[in-house]
Amino acid sequence: MIEELLIWLVKVVVVWGALIATAAIMSLAERKVSAWMQYRHGPNRVGPGGILQPLADGLKFIMKEELVPAGANRLIFRVAPAIASMPAMLAVAVIPFGYSAVIAGREIPLSIADLDIGVLYILALGGLAVYGVILGGWASNSKYSLLGALRASAQMISYELTLMLAILSVVLVCGSLNLRQIIETQRAFLDWNVFSQPLAFVLFTIATFAETNRHPFDFAECEPELVGGFHTEYSAMRFALFFLGEYCAMTVMAALNTTLFWGGPSIPFWPQAPWLLGVASFALKTAFFLFLFIWVRWTLPRLRFDQLMRLGWQVLLPLSLVNLTLTGAVMAFWGD
Amino acid sequence: MVILQRKELSLAERLYLPEVLRGLSITFRKFFEKPITRQYPEEPLPKDEVTRGQPRLVVKEDGNVACVSCGLCEAACPAYAITIDGQETDRFIEREPERFEIDMLRCILCGFCEEACPKDAIFMSDELELADYTRAALIYDLERLKRPKAALQKRIDYVYRINDRWRKPSSTS
Repeated sequence: MIEELLIWLVKVVVVWGALIATAAIMSLAERKVSAWMQYRHGPNRVGPGGILQPLADGLKFIMKEELVPAGANRLIFRVAPAIASMPAMLAVAVIPFGYSAVIAGREIPLSIADLDIGVLYILALGGLAVYGVILGGWASNSKYSLLGALRASAQMISYELTLMLAILSVVLVCGSLNLRQIIETQRAFLDWNVFSQPLAFVLFTIATFAETNRHPFDFAECEPELVGGFHTEYSAMRFALFFLGEYCAMTVMAALNTTLFWGGPSIPFWPQAPWLLGVASFALKTAFFLFLFIWVRWTLPRLRFDQLMRLGWQVLLPLSLVNLTLTGAVMAFWGD
Repeated sequence: MVILQRKELSLAERLYLPEVLRGLSITFRKFFEKPITRQYPEEPLPKDEVTRGQPRLVVKEDGNVACVSCGLCEAACPAYAITIDGQETDRFIEREPERFEIDMLRCILCGFCEEACPKDAIFMSDELELADYTRAALIYDLERLKRPKAALQKRIDYVYRINDRWRKPSSTS
């Protein structure tokens, strides 16, 4: 019993640490990649090649003064950043980052929780993420924050539909809501869901960009129109928490993309690979999708808000419905 | 009046995704190109003979400044940055500066002093960096303005070359 608890504790510490570390690395990578794509050097003063920049940033965030605007709802204003950053950190619990490790004769499944409703759990937490944004914007007592929050929540709710429907078609193919089951069905290279569900993959990827408020759908923040966005009034560590939440959400979405469509820890043509290589494969795929987030940000111009809504409701939603219907029909008539 | 016709988009362009991929491939190629930013304090600006930096006084091979404190540069200076007090000397030229100050905060690096000087005693060096904690520290006195002739030689040659038509090398320097 104690042993079980210890294994579980180690997994929690490792996964959560990896998530926070990824968020820190992403804050540096964002600036470095953007610099390299624009013939610049990027931050290179703190540590060798700027490696320690996230630490310096973190330190600065902690040292800064926390401001609460007059007329703000103090309780909600203080709690909102936590609500914004928690869902992503919780969602990572069900993501399988490997098949199972065999250490000292024990078989250890490589995910914190092996939930039978893993997909549902992640979607529920994704829905919660909207609250952080809208509460933060509303409690600030500032018109810019409120407008930013309204816009961001409208966007997140719209794209959540596409996200769910894209995931549902994967669930239909794999026949399970358990993420561990989903990666098990994708062990062989040709069984990767991206080959049977290319449209769902595209829809899911686009929806994750909107869901995490990333470019070209970054309507949660906008300097020219909103003086920032839902976090205009936030400073210091509370602002950093929104930031952290965004990066954690990106990491979770990238990991989810890997899990649902790219076989998770599966390595092409080598199904019996050691578990550690499986974890590395999973990390590599996730890193690629994280890179994609930054890559797209420095490539595409952002949409207008009406274009965003039209894309969401008139293009992506019908497409995902068609995809789901076709998948369902195929599974019902020809499925095994 | 010009009427702009909106370009008819092809199917691939209207689908948007192929164009997105094309854009991504462009930024990905740029990713590997060398940055063009110059890391300034570590990689200084290339300095040319044409560089017109702060004025400096020439110290001849015998260790004396070439200046005879005639006051022409002082008079030519549009920013009133130069202050000269002369004194007698036993040397052949009879006069030398006792005090020669250039207020670097006033100097506009125009090079009029260089043009005005009849003795080839003041030249624009290639020194451009100017930073200190007090204003007083930026009023350069004689000792801080002295530079051996060799250090200014590139600029001196350049000035002779472009001014050749009306200016000959001074007979006493």
